[in-house]
Amino acid sequence: MSSSQVVKRAKYKTTVKDPGTPGVLKLTQEKLLFRPNDRTSNNKLDVEFRLIKGHKHTKEGSNKPPWLNLTHAQGSYIFELESFSDLHVCRELVGIALSKHAEATKAISEEQLSAAEMTQRIKLLQEDSKLQKLHKELVASGKLTESEFWATKKKLLDHNESSKSKQRIGFKNSLIFDTKPTSDGRINQVKFQLTPEIKYQIFALKPAVHQAFLNFVPSKMSEVDFWNKYFKAEYLHSTKNAVAAAAEAAEDEDLAVFLKDDEILEMEARKKVRRVDPTLDMEADQGDDYTHLPDHGIFRDGSKEISEAHHPLYRRTLLQDLNRQGAVVLEGKTLDMEMEHPKTVAEILARRKQESDGLIEEERRNRISKMTQIEDLQAQDNHPYAPLCIKDPREYFDSQQVNAVKTLDDSQAGMQVRCNLGSVEAYDSLRTSISKIKATGLRDPLISPEVALKVLNGLTKNISNTKYHLGKSSQEGVLDMLPNTTKDKLLDHWVCSQELLRHFWSSYPITTPNLNKTKRLKDAISQLYSKLEEIKVSAQSDLRHQVSLVVHPMQQALDAALLHYDADIKKRNARGSKPNGYV
Amino acid sequence: MKFEIEDITVYFPYDNIYPEQYSYMVELKRALDAKGHCLLEMPTGTGKTIALLSLITSYVLSKPHSPLKLLYCTRTVHEMEKTLAELRLLHDYQLLHLGPAAKILALGLSSRKNLCVNSRVLAAENRDSVDAGCRKLTASWVRALAAENPSVPACEFFEQYERAGSSAVLPPGVYTLQDLRVFGKEKGWCPYYLARHMVQFANVVVYSYQYLLDPKVAGIISKEMQKESVVVFDEAHNIDNVCIEALSVSVRRQTIEGARRNLTRMRQEVDKFKATDAGRLRAEYNRLVEGLALRGDLPSTDAWLANPALPDDILKEAVPGNIRRAEHFIHVLRRLVQYLEGRLETENVEKESPVGFLVSILNHAGIDQKTLKFCYDRLHSLMMTLEITDTDEFLHIQTICDFATLVGTYARGFSIIIEPFDERMPHIPDPVLQLCCHDASLAIKPVFERFQSVVITSGTLSPIDLYPRLLNFNPVVSRSFTMSLTRDCICPMVLTRGSDQLPVSTKFDMRSDLGVVRNYGRLLLEMASVVPDGIVCFFVSYSYMDGIVNTWNETGILKEIMQHKLVFIETQDVVETTLALDNYRKACDCGRGAIFFSVARGKVAEGIDFDRHYGRLVIMFGVPFQYTLSKILLARLEYLRDTFQIKEGDFLTFDALRQAAQCVGRVIRSKADYGMMIFADKRYSRHDKRSKLPGWILSHLHDAHLNLSTDMALHIAREFLRKMAQPYDKTGGTGRKTLLSQEDLEKMVVEGGLNDMLY
Repeated sequence: MSSSQVVKRAKYKTTVKDPGTPGVLKLTQEKLLFRPNDRTSNNKLDVEFRLIKGHKHTKEGSNKPPWLNLTHAQGSYIFELESFSDLHVCRELVGIALSKHAEATKAISEEQLSAAEMTQRIKLLQEDSKLQKLHKELVASGKLTESEFWATKKKLLDHNESSKSKQRIGFKNSLIFDTKPTSDGRINQVKFQLTPEIKYQIFALKPAVHQAFLNFVPSKMSEVDFWNKYFKAEYLHSTKNAVAAAAEAAEDEDLAVFLKDDEILEMEARKKVRRVDPTLDMEADQGDDYTHLPDHGIFRDGSKEISEAHHPLYRRTLLQDLNRQGAVVLEGKTLDMEMEHPKTVAEILARRKQESDGLIEEERRNRISKMTQIEDLQAQDNHPYAPLCIKDPREYFDSQQVNAVKTLDDSQAGMQVRCNLGSVEAYDSLRTSISKIKATGLRDPLISPEVALKVLNGLTKNISNTKYHLGKSSQEGVLDMLPNTTKDKLLDHWVCSQELLRHFWSSYPITTPNLNKTKRLKDAISQLYSKLEEIKVSAQSDLRHQVSLVVHPMQQALDAALLHYDADIKKRNARGSKPNGYV
Repeated sequence: MKFEIEDITVYFPYDNIYPEQYSYMVELKRALDAKGHCLLEMPTGTGKTIALLSLITSYVLSKPHSPLKLLYCTRTVHEMEKTLAELRLLHDYQLLHLGPAAKILALGLSSRKNLCVNSRVLAAENRDSVDAGCRKLTASWVRALAAENPSVPACEFFEQYERAGSSAVLPPGVYTLQDLRVFGKEKGWCPYYLARHMVQFANVVVYSYQYLLDPKVAGIISKEMQKESVVVFDEAHNIDNVCIEALSVSVRRQTIEGARRNLTRMRQEVDKFKATDAGRLRAEYNRLVEGLALRGDLPSTDAWLANPALPDDILKEAVPGNIRRAEHFIHVLRRLVQYLEGRLETENVEKESPVGFLVSILNHAGIDQKTLKFCYDRLHSLMMTLEITDTDEFLHIQTICDFATLVGTYARGFSIIIEPFDERMPHIPDPVLQLCCHDASLAIKPVFERFQSVVITSGTLSPIDLYPRLLNFNPVVSRSFTMSLTRDCICPMVLTRGSDQLPVSTKFDMRSDLGVVRNYGRLLLEMASVVPDGIVCFFVSYSYMDGIVNTWNETGILKEIMQHKLVFIETQDVVETTLALDNYRKACDCGRGAIFFSVARGKVAEGIDFDRHYGRLVIMFGVPFQYTLSKILLARLEYLRDTFQIKEGDFLTFDALRQAAQCVGRVIRSKADYGMMIFADKRYSRHDKRSKLPGWILSHLHDAHLNLSTDMALHIAREFLRKMAQPYDKTGGTGRKTLLSQEDLEKMVVEGGLNDMLY
C-alpha cells in the first residue's frame, strides 16, 4: 500500500466554507502538488512536507465529506477527496511522509507523535482532571511545551503501556468436547465448527493428536482431511459404541490414533505422579493394600463398583476428559506458539520439567511439615508493637500527628540528647548492630519499640506537617479555615509551582537547547510568585496569618529557584564577558 | 507446652491446647494405666493425632522402667506420612526440652513398592511384580547362585545390607518412607529389609492396618511384637470392613484358569527336579514326615505371604500323609480346582455354610477337611523346594490354597456364596465363588489378645456402643467427645428440596428422575457462584456419579458450573485421581477455585483432607447406603442379627451415616478452619437417619437448617461466609474457653474446673 506516490482527484479549499477548486492532488514522500482543473486558477499548490505541521481528517461514517486537513504554520490546506478509500490512501502516505520529516528535523521541529501515543496522552488527561488542569495551566499558556510537559510524565505513559501487555489470556474453561455437531436433520451428515482457538485447545488437551498432526500434515494428508478424521473419531466416540469404534479403527490405522488412549499423557501422568504431594499420593496406598490382591477380599459386596467391560482401548470417558480439561486450564497457555508451528508438545513439556528433583523433594517436605502444624494452637503473635499497615497515608499521618504533638517535647528533648553522639560512636554502634544481625538474624527488634515509635514520630512530624497544612481532609487544617476559593487557588498554585520547580531544577546545568526553556520557566515562576504575593495581600486580615503560613514555604521554594537563576546568570555573564573583554 | 496429667508430664509441641485434647489425653492415660483397650470418638479437626502421640510418648518417657512400644496403624500411606510428620514435630520439641534422653526411633513401614530403591525392581508396575522382582534378586538360593556365578544378578543394596550385618542399624530419629529411602541410598543398604529389621527395636512403628489385621501379612511383619505395646487404630470407623475383607477370598473364572496354569508349571518343575535333583524332593518329604511344615526359621527374603488363617487356629501338626509327596499334592489341588470350576457353573445364586461345603467337597472330590486345612502350608513348602521366585505369577494357586485353608479352618462366621453374574448387570456372565467372613471380631481378636492396650479412635464412631459389639471386646474406656467451638465454624445443612421446591433424593426410584438430577445440578451451580476456593461433592457411587455428570454435561449445567470453577473428578484409576487431586489443590492455591467430584466409600473419602481453602463446602448428594440387594450384605446382616442382635435397618443406616459423616468431616481441620456441609437428600430430615450422625455435627445442625430448599441454603451460605470472614478471638473470649494456654490449664487443674467445663 505504501507506494511512493499517490494521485487522486480532489477539491482544494482554503477554508471549510469554501466550495473548493476541483483538481488533481499528487502526493509524494517529499511534497504535495495540487493542479486545479481550471488552468487559469491561481490555487496551484506546491508544498514540501517539511512545512506541514500535522494532519487531520474526517471520520468515515460522520456526515462530513472526506476531508484531509494538512496544517501548516499559517493555516491549513483542506482537500475534499472523492471517497473515503481515497482519503485513507492519502492519509497513509501523508502519515509516512510526515513521520519521515519529523525524524529528520527533530532537532528543529517538535516531535511527531504517533497516533497511539497521542490517544494515550489524551486518555490520561481525560482520566485525571488534575493533570488536565495542570496541562492547561502550563502548556496552553506556553510556559512549557507539550513535549517538556510529558517528558516528566514518562512513567505514567510507560506504566500504562506495560500493564497492558503483561497479562496473558488463559484458556476458557469450556469443554472443547462441546464442539457439538450441527446437522440439518435431512441428510446423513454432520458439520463441525472449527476455529484456531479450538484447534489450539485440542492440541493442548490431546498431545497425541498434536503429535499426529505434526506427523501427518501435510506429508500424508491435508489439514482438512486430518480434521475430518479427527471428528469422525470423536463422533464415533460420542456414540459410545465401542465395538463400532474398534471395527473402524481396525480398518483405518490413522483413525485409531484418535481413539486410542493417549500415550503421551500416560507417560506424563506417570512422571507427574512421582512428584505429587505425599499426603495425596493414593498410588502409594496400593503398595500396602493386601485386601485388594486379585481375588482376595470380597469381590462383589455391593459397595465395590463394577466397571463395564469395555474394549480396553476405547474407553476414554467424560470424567477423564474433564480432569484433563481442568489440568490444561490450570497450566494455562504454555506459550504463544504459532498454530502450525512444528513444535512438539513433548519439547515444551521437557522444557518445563527442568527443575531439579532435589529441590522438589525439599519443597515437598516443607509443605508437609507446614501442613501438619495446627495453626491456632501455636503461640499468638503478641508482639509489643502493632503491625505496620498503612492503607491511607494521609489518614495515617493525621492520626500520628496527635501522638506526635503529645510527645513532641520529650521526644525532641530525647533526640537532642542523642544527637550529641559523635560520628565515630554512631558508626561503632551501627557496626556492632550489623554484626549482631549477621550472627543472629533479624529476630528481635533492634531497638526498643518505644524508642522506634518516638523516632518515627519525630521524623514523620515534618512530613505530616506539610501534608497537614495542605491536606484537604484534615479536620482542623489551616486550609479548611480559608474560604473555598482561596483554598482552591492555593492548591492549584501549589501543584503548579511543584511542577514548574521540578522542570526548573531538572534543566540544570543549563545547556544551549534548554536555555530558552529555563528562561521561560523563570518568567513563569516569577509570575507565580507575584500571584502568591497577591493572594497573601488580598486575604482578609483575620486569615492573613494562616494564608501567609501556607504560602510562605511555597514562596521560599520559588525564591530559592529565582536566586539560583540570578546567581547562575551572573556567573554566566561574568564568564562570557571575560573572553570578550580580555582577548 | 508442658503439663502434668496425674503422675506423668506431657510434652505438647504447641503453645496452646484445645480443652478436648486435654480430656482426650486424660481418658487415654487412664486406659493405659488400666492396661486395657479403649474406644474414643473425637471430632475431626481437633488435633486427635498429635494429642495421642504426645500422650503416649510422654507416658513412655515418664515410665522408663516399663518400655511401651507404639504401633500406630493408619489406613493409607499418606496418612502414615502425615502422622510421621506430626511425630517429628513432637520429637523435636521433646529433644529440645529433655535432651538426648528423649531420643526415640520411629519409622514408617510399607511394602517393597514404596521402599525399594533398586531401579530395576522398581520398574515393575504393581506391588506383586515388585515383590517378585525383589525375590528374584534376593531369594536365598538366588544369592547362593550369585555368590558362585557373578553373572547371576543380585541386588547390590541387599548384599551391602547383609554384609553390614549387625552394624546395619538406623540411628534414632523419625523416619518417613522418604527418609528411609534416602538413608538407604546413602548407605547403600536396602531400606525395606533395614526397616523390617528395625521394626523390632523401634519405639514407634507406623504402618497400615493390614500389617496387624490381615494374617497373611501380619504373620511375617508383626510376628515378634512384644505384648507391652499400645496399638492405635486411627480413623478406625471402617475397621470392621477391613477385618472382614482380611479373611475373605473370592474365586473367579480367571482364578481357576490361572491356577490350572500354575499347576501345570509346578508339575513340570517337579518332573525336572525328579530327573536332576531327586534328593531335594525327598528331603522335603522327610521334613514333612517329621511334622515341620516349614523349615524352621526362613531367611526373611524367602518369606512369602503367611498363612491366611489366624495364628491360633493353625494346627501345629504334621502335614497329612496324602499330600506329603509333591505330585500327590498337585493332584489334590487339581481335583480341588476341578471341583470349584464345577461349582462356578451354576445358574442360580447359591449360599452354603462352610460345613456343608466341606461335606460336598469330600463327596465329590474326595478331599477331607484336614487336607484342605494344610493346603496353604504345603503349597508354601513346595514353592520353596521348587525355588520359585516369580511369585506374582503364582497368585492364583495361592488364592485357591487360601480358600481351602480358610474353609478347612473355620466353621462359623463364614458363608460361601456363588453368584453366576452381577445382579446389576445380568447380561454379563461373571461367575464368582466367594468365601466371605461376616464376623469382624475374628480377625481383630488376636490383636486384642496379644497387646496390652488397643486404642480405636476416629472422628465418627457413632453410635459408640455398636463397635464393642461388632468387634467383640470390652473397652475400659469408651468416650465420645464433643467439640467446643470458638465460633460456629461448621455449618451443616439438610437440603430436602431443589429450587423448584420438589424433593430431592437418591432413593432408587427417584435417582434417575431428570428433575432431581437438574435440582442437584442447580444446587451445585448456585453454590459454585457463592463459595470461594474449593468445593467437594460426594456421590453415592461411581456409577451414579458417572451418570449424573454425563446428564449435566448433556443439559449444559456442567458448562455453566465450569464457568465458575474448574472441575476435577475421582476415577477408578488411582494415578489419574492422584493427579486430579494435585491439580485441584493447585487450583485452590492459586485462587482459581475448583470442584472435586468424589465417591462416598471411595479412596478419596477415606483418606484425603479437604481442610482450609481446599474445602469450604462439602455437598453429600444422597445417602450412601450399601447396595442392599447384595447377597453378601444380606448374609452378613443375617449373621449380625443372629449373633449380635443388631437389626438390619439399624446396621444399614449406621453404615450409611458413618460414611456420610466421614465424607463431610474431611472439610475441617482446626478450630480456625471453617466449612459448610450440605446433606442433599430428603431422607436426612428424618430423625431416625439424622440421629445416627456424630454428636459434633448434630450439635451444630440447627432446627432451622433441617428442611431447606436450594434458595434458602444459598442464603444461609452467604450469611455464613460473611460471618466467617470477620476477625474473631481465638481463645473463645470470656465464656467457655476453647483454647487453653499453659497458665489457663494449670489454673483449671488446680481449681478442678476443667472437668465441669468438659462434661
